[in-house]
Amino acid sequence: MKKKFGLTIASIMAVSMVLSACGGNNNESSSPSAPSESSKAPSASESAKPSQAGSPLEEALAGKYKGTKVTMFGPFVDVDQVKFEEAIKAFEEKSGIDIAYEGTKEFEATVKVRVDGNNAPDIIDFPQPGLLANIAKTGKVIDVSTFMDKAKLESNYNKSWLDMATMDGANGKIMAGIWARSSVKSLVWYNKKEFDAAGYKVPQTWDELLALTDQIAKDGDPAWAIGIESGAATGWPATDWVEDIMLRTTSGENYDKWVKGELPFTDPIVKNAVQKMSDIWLKKGAVYGGTKSIVTTSFGDAPKVLFDNPPKAWLHRQASFITSFFPEGLKSGEDYDWFPLPSIDPQYGTPALVAGDIYAMFNDRPEVRAVMEFFTTGESIKTWIQSGGVIAPMNDADPSWYTSDVERKMAEFVKNASTIRFDGSDLMPGEVGAGTFWKGMTDYVSGTVSLDKAIEEIQAGWKK
Amino acid sequence: MKRRTRRIGSKSIVNITLAIICLIWLVPTVGLLVSSFRPASDILKSGWWTVVPHRGNLTKEQIQLPKDTDLQQQIEVKGTLYTDEQLRAGIKAPDGSRLIWENRRARLINVQEPGWTMSKNFTLDNYEGVLTGKTYELKQPDGSVKKEKGSDLSRAFLNTLVVSIPATLIPILIATFAAYAFAWLKFPLRKTLFVIVIMLLVVPLQVALIPISKDYAALGLNGEFLGIWIAHAGFGLPLATYFMYSYISQLPKDLFESAFMDGATNFTIFTRLIVPLAVPSIASISIFQFLWVWNDYLVSLIFLGGQEDVQVLSMKIANLAGSRGDAWHLLTAASFISMLMPLAVFFGLQRYFVRGLMGGSVKG
Repeated sequence: MKKKFGLTIASIMAVSMVLSACGGNNNESSSPSAPSESSKAPSASESAKPSQAGSPLEEALAGKYKGTKVTMFGPFVDVDQVKFEEAIKAFEEKSGIDIAYEGTKEFEATVKVRVDGNNAPDIIDFPQPGLLANIAKTGKVIDVSTFMDKAKLESNYNKSWLDMATMDGANGKIMAGIWARSSVKSLVWYNKKEFDAAGYKVPQTWDELLALTDQIAKDGDPAWAIGIESGAATGWPATDWVEDIMLRTTSGENYDKWVKGELPFTDPIVKNAVQKMSDIWLKKGAVYGGTKSIVTTSFGDAPKVLFDNPPKAWLHRQASFITSFFPEGLKSGEDYDWFPLPSIDPQYGTPALVAGDIYAMFNDRPEVRAVMEFFTTGESIKTWIQSGGVIAPMNDADPSWYTSDVERKMAEFVKNASTIRFDGSDLMPGEVGAGTFWKGMTDYVSGTVSLDKAIEEIQAGWKK
Repeated sequence: MKRRTRRIGSKSIVNITLAIICLIWLVPTVGLLVSSFRPASDILKSGWWTVVPHRGNLTKEQIQLPKDTDLQQQIEVKGTLYTDEQLRAGIKAPDGSRLIWENRRARLINVQEPGWTMSKNFTLDNYEGVLTGKTYELKQPDGSVKKEKGSDLSRAFLNTLVVSIPATLIPILIATFAAYAFAWLKFPLRKTLFVIVIMLLVVPLQVALIPISKDYAALGLNGEFLGIWIAHAGFGLPLATYFMYSYISQLPKDLFESAFMDGATNFTIFTRLIVPLAVPSIASISIFQFLWVWNDYLVSLIFLGGQEDVQVLSMKIANLAGSRGDAWHLLTAASFISMLMPLAVFFGLQRYFVRGLMGGSVKG
């Protein structure tokens, strides 16, 4: 018996050794490049000064960094990862730089451990600038303005994007990263075929929107499909609503103050915004499944009832990414379309609430500089734009790249919007933006606390 | 005779209790298994238990009301007045049938009667999506759609084996040596060292993540299999040592004394006596450690990362759900596939539990 057991162990060990040998190969072939490159870095970075001999990107395209590897880390996995890799393929082939992207579902939890553990990859993709701002304070983020051409950046990005990338470093302000992709949030989706067949009109004002809500209720359906359940992040779709309504009921300056914590949640301005939201959310017969089900419906499942036959609900406010949750086989522009969440107070127009990904750099090597510079060009997300699901923050992205009118309209909407502001909860410190704000809104909507109590609860997050 | 019936009686009580506990424990697993064969839209609409024939309401006929029926007023159906709310929730008509809206907008009402019903939609799509990789559709500029096949599970499966087999063997090998030493060898500070090992049992591994990651960064071990083997070995050692110690220290002393008499060295005693006798406990701690490493997500997330060439199964499966969790229905099938290996290990090692037990090692 002993012999048999020994045999089992021996065979298991043998199998594992063989496996590890073939698994290890990939590693070994790539690892030697990293240390040798980093030791080369100082000398190479001297030649990479912007004034001399072309920018890092040009040098990379000329094949100077052939065979090097740049590691990247970010939150997109699955289909997003495929699209990302598709978009950088041409650059990788031309420059010979291998961009090794690593996606994780646990981005927020992992990124701090990776950075604190001195295990940061070369480039990290942050969907929340607030998180990057925290890390930038430690001084581990490299100031991209030290090697990037300022004039080029200013011509290729809206000023508000560049302002949002400027954060506090260890010693003064730094440009902590560059914006690589964005999405629009102020969109109300509807089932176009049924909507038109029922004879409804796209509302231009908030009052028209409320009238449409009543009209749909009268015709027999709840107008809105709303769901804010999202696991540990339950409540975030509600914060988007509040932010959108804030932009429509007060000035951009007040919004900025609010995001910075200078305008408290208990202020009448904020309270008013939440009340405006309640006009729809808490109205009897306006939400599919009733107000109670908002908290228990997953944000991704919520819009599905729009496409039931016949539709069980008619309107759904969500960011551009939501189309990936729509039932398969729907055609954009034919089966579904969107309109911007209408203006409430004419003096503030129809602002756009956006979100996006900022890429920050953690290791300064010439090939990393080249890759960062590549990400400031629209070219870097061209095929991604073509396959849908992303809006370019760069100005040099050609509108003709958008293959559907639905997305081209989004790009135009952002370009022409009277005010552009970033998703506030992503900018606020984590305790509020990803903490009490989510929780307070959830409590309020579920009816466990009153509005006054909820906003006090949210405000309490700032003191932590 | 009497005693025997009593024994059978108490035995059957125990068996029935165990059967009930088993059943309760199995329910979620069965639910998951059933769900893994159901289309995503069905999972959303109805519970997995609807696949079992059950009493439900079957629609016998439909009544079309006039299109201009006012829903705010009482609604007349078959001569009786109902409110909109009643028709939404379903209401019993005087003739015993149940009335409920099929489509409020079209003013269509279902007349239902109770009957047996079951949900019969089954699909293998979930398993196909997991096993062969998802198909991504990428729109091309010319309007055509390029299909790109995502990677399947085989690479991640191999990676997990590469991680878990050494990460099981290394700590158990060390722990068995250590346990023998703690139990039977005399050396200074033996008690103190052993208490330190026991104390390590209560230290959560999370506190070690950042310091170890820093050391690994200096040694270049991050993202390498060697790094995660060492990490898992370290995290698994206290429990394995304690577990092996409690078994080995219980072995009869006479055994070692007679072996010493015959001139055996410590190493001979260990390999010839201890290891064969400890097989059952080695087998059970192997199962624990293997299951822990196989299902581990956190340690591999931090030390191994998510690059395709090292990614383990648990991370691959988590990623299957998509950046925003829109493909959650694949998780049902994926979790069953990832369960196969631990099950195989469990049943493979299980026989050592029974066979190894002290079988005739000390006579008399």
